[in-house]
Amino acid sequence: MSLLFDEYGLPFIVVRDQEQKQRLKGVDAVKSHILAARNVANILKSSLGPKGLDKIMVNSDGEVTVTNDGATILKMMDVRHQVAKLLVELSQSQDDEVGDGTTSVVVLAGALLEQAEALLDKGIHPVRIADGFSMAAEICCRHLETISDEVEVSSERKTALVEVAMTALGSKIVSRCHRQIATIAVDAVLAGIKMADLERKDVDFELIKVEGKVGGKMEETTLVKGVVVDKGFSHPQMSKELKNAKIAILTCPFEPPKPKTKNTLSIKSVEDYEKLHNYERKTFEDMIGHVKKSGANIVCCQWGFDDEANHMLLQSSLHAIRWVGGSEMELVAIASGGRIVPRFEELTREKLGSAGIIREIQFGTTKDSMIFIESCANSRAVTIFVRGGNKMIVEEGKRSIHDALCVTRNLVKDNRIVYGGGSAEISCAIKINAEADKIATLEQYAIRVFGDALESVPIALSENSGFPAITTLANVKTLQISTNNPHLGIDCLKRGTYDMKEQRVIETLIGKQQQIMLATQVVKMILKIDDVIANEI
Amino acid sequence: MMQPQILLLKEGTDTSQGKPQLISNINACQSVVDAVRTTLGPRGMDKLIVDKKGKSTISNDGATIMKLLDIVHPAAKSLVDIAKSQDAEVGDGTTSVVLLAGEFLKQIKPYVEEGVHPRIIIKAVRRSLQLCLDKINELAIKINKANATEFHSLLQKCAATAMSSKLIHQQRDFFSKMVVDAVLHLDELLPLNMIGIKKVQGGALEDSVLVAGVAFKKTFSYAGFEMQPKVYNNCKIALLNIELELKAERDNAEIRVDNVKEYQKIVDAEWNILYQKLQKIHESGANVVLSKLPIGDVATQYFADRDMFCAGRVPEEDLKRTLKACGGAVMTTVHDLNDSVLGKCEYFEERQIGGERFNFFKGCPNAKTCTMILRGGAEQFLEETERSLHDAIMIVRRTIKNDAVVAGGGAIEMELSRMLRDYSRTIAGKEQLLIGAIAKALEIIPRQLCDNAGFDATNILNKLRQKHAQNHCWYGVDVNKEDISDNMEACVWEPAIVKVNALTAATEATCLILSVDETIKNQKSGDAPPAMGRGMGRPM
Repeated sequence: MSLLFDEYGLPFIVVRDQEQKQRLKGVDAVKSHILAARNVANILKSSLGPKGLDKIMVNSDGEVTVTNDGATILKMMDVRHQVAKLLVELSQSQDDEVGDGTTSVVVLAGALLEQAEALLDKGIHPVRIADGFSMAAEICCRHLETISDEVEVSSERKTALVEVAMTALGSKIVSRCHRQIATIAVDAVLAGIKMADLERKDVDFELIKVEGKVGGKMEETTLVKGVVVDKGFSHPQMSKELKNAKIAILTCPFEPPKPKTKNTLSIKSVEDYEKLHNYERKTFEDMIGHVKKSGANIVCCQWGFDDEANHMLLQSSLHAIRWVGGSEMELVAIASGGRIVPRFEELTREKLGSAGIIREIQFGTTKDSMIFIESCANSRAVTIFVRGGNKMIVEEGKRSIHDALCVTRNLVKDNRIVYGGGSAEISCAIKINAEADKIATLEQYAIRVFGDALESVPIALSENSGFPAITTLANVKTLQISTNNPHLGIDCLKRGTYDMKEQRVIETLIGKQQQIMLATQVVKMILKIDDVIANEI
Repeated sequence: MMQPQILLLKEGTDTSQGKPQLISNINACQSVVDAVRTTLGPRGMDKLIVDKKGKSTISNDGATIMKLLDIVHPAAKSLVDIAKSQDAEVGDGTTSVVLLAGEFLKQIKPYVEEGVHPRIIIKAVRRSLQLCLDKINELAIKINKANATEFHSLLQKCAATAMSSKLIHQQRDFFSKMVVDAVLHLDELLPLNMIGIKKVQGGALEDSVLVAGVAFKKTFSYAGFEMQPKVYNNCKIALLNIELELKAERDNAEIRVDNVKEYQKIVDAEWNILYQKLQKIHESGANVVLSKLPIGDVATQYFADRDMFCAGRVPEEDLKRTLKACGGAVMTTVHDLNDSVLGKCEYFEERQIGGERFNFFKGCPNAKTCTMILRGGAEQFLEETERSLHDAIMIVRRTIKNDAVVAGGGAIEMELSRMLRDYSRTIAGKEQLLIGAIAKALEIIPRQLCDNAGFDATNILNKLRQKHAQNHCWYGVDVNKEDISDNMEACVWEPAIVKVNALTAATEATCLILSVDETIKNQKSGDAPPAMGRGMGRPM
């Protein structure tokens, strides 16, 4: 920050460490923000749509991530600029709320700012531009409602759900087998809400676990109606398959209990020592006795147990899994309908969970093995098991499935859809241009450019697909106006029709509305800043 | 002969005095005022401030900006203080108060330079303040509390005016209703901490909801939590301040055991202590257990086993608000747990909001509390929304307590300015000029409103002066039409107390700065200046 001087030539030190602070004021500040935001948007532009490309990111530890997901790209980019950070948060909150459309929301925000810059040059007050944008966003959301279709959602009729999930997966690396993965995602969500939650329309993602394992093909990705635990049986001699399992779910270790209070046990003689030894042995026997008595044939333990206990378990032909994580314990309990038992004394027949089959599966030539707990009493807890050629693909697969899960959930919540491929944006742009002429005040200009900004999504789509962007857009737009059909969009996959309804490229209405609202909010916020006081970092 | 040097102050101490010091102080204040000037009014802009840790704040709130600027200039600091005091006292008008103080000083500066004694100036400033306060009291319109709907809509108008300069001004109708509903939920004393504000990223602003009751984020949970039921009708709530975990009863205790039998007994004893506690809670008939302290995995599973819901590590204020809403008492022991100390509510559920899960308590019998759940894009956006709502809540509270309103948009300032100018012409002496200067200074509010909106300030101000001279006392700036309008009719209302407080605080600050003629600034310990001049044994 430059120093100020008074009439007598004395410098003011008004603010602490004044010289070290940067300050940017007025239109310069707004313009520099716009530039920063546009840069971020440009990075993401090329990963939009089914023909969009992926980014590779290497973090400071040398770990490589390949992704197409806007939110992930931005998060990994580790942006420093404050305004660019806002865009990162924008895509993050789209991710939290909707899960899909994280790229488009940033592209839209970038386009809005680009248009705003032109208006600023014309001398329109930034706040009025911001006002105009939010008016336009409102028009947009209302218009989207009128062009939306309702689809029927139930566990029997899941075509629409699968199609939405497929659209969300269209741009991802998994698109090779996207119908399969979309079906998996939809089944997973439907399994989660089968119970009383259907009227509450509340889907708890904690019950859907996504596990990955490197190796195999992407096509081998499966939905396990149960739980997958990334562990093996505790003893190599235990048989690898167990039918009609009765599971004892324990959170106490297989060892003599210790008091939490600090304690010392003083042993004075050999007899005492013998006693202690016998005591320990007896506790093991008691524990196994409790388990046996309850009728369980497999023990799922949160903690470990030593080799002696392990051996005794094997001898009494009990299966055991040790070191199972807390959240997995919970899932096992939910899936099998058992109760988590904190003490051996409380173990009873009623508290056991049951599963049709428990298998230990080994993969390829590696020694890793996993335990599948399937055909459970209660199938609310499900696991999606992702396979893929390498770690990056598995990770990207997991992220893509997350997106698919989110859109499916959204459609369960609100069964209205709009058509993708940029058709909704084009239709909104036409509507907005018509509305803009009806507004008397200065905001008219801002509303009109909002329409232009919306077109950036179809433009990016057709650019990424290798079409002449403007020509294609113009064609679609004229067709939309002449046939009055809001379902026409960019034919990225060259299926020979512009009609997205025929192509079944569908997106959720909530997702689209959220995109527009969130992008507008952030753009408004950026436009309103006219002064930046920053410490040099 | 050389005079011996008298060292009165420590070396390096900065002293400056007299008129130049006074002028310098005034100038320093000006530079601070310039920093917040552009945030005033519906067309005001926001500031982005990045602190040393790289955390950025975007705000339009005068007090917040002043606080974050980290001002060290001693005179300019007094402006920060008045902004803070305005924030604490009324919550809104923090920018105006700084602007007014700065403008008073600016208009008075020529007189200081000409050599008018500061005491005379102070007297004149105080005199004009008194006149202004009398005028506000005379003009302010009392509102009728008897008619509930009318009162409600009036409060909404005040809240809407407070929000009109903020980021959320497009949604101000939505939020002003929400704010007024929230404040009216409270009891007589209108305690601010009984309105909980929770922020969840994502979603549109309009997705924000007001919950008549309590809502808070799901706390950290142990295995077994997902097996607990998530919905209850007519549930009973136990509010506890007990750690329900298997742990050492005394931290510094040590047990010495010398035979194995005793060992098992001790283990059992520890378990029994916990199990007795849990059993007592279960027997009391509570469905939902909330505790300020952690609820461990054993307890979580115990409750899950008995179809009860529990949440540990509930933040204290949330627990307090639950107490207010649902009744009952926060217990520190389980022994007296009975029906009378349990809270009650009609409906409890855990629900997903954005990326978070929230616990809701609805239909509480004595709901003297409420929770706002705000939704919005970015974190900074939500923070600014919270600050804006805080301002609006304060305004509504103030208006309920102090039921007089005046018109905003510069109307009341123009009227005060006219009154002071008329008065100054009736008196003789130096005060005439000084009061005239104050009258001119008051015009800064409408002037800045125009400047920020990009209007021709001189033109608008002349129109306003003419209207006020014809006794149309509520005319102010109309930002939407680039003209003037009767702001009483246009529903741009502010509580009179905001203006009273702003004028008083600005005057106090002005007087304080004017009465200072010397600054003695002790050098910061640690960084001594390099020894100057005195080298090689020679005197300076």
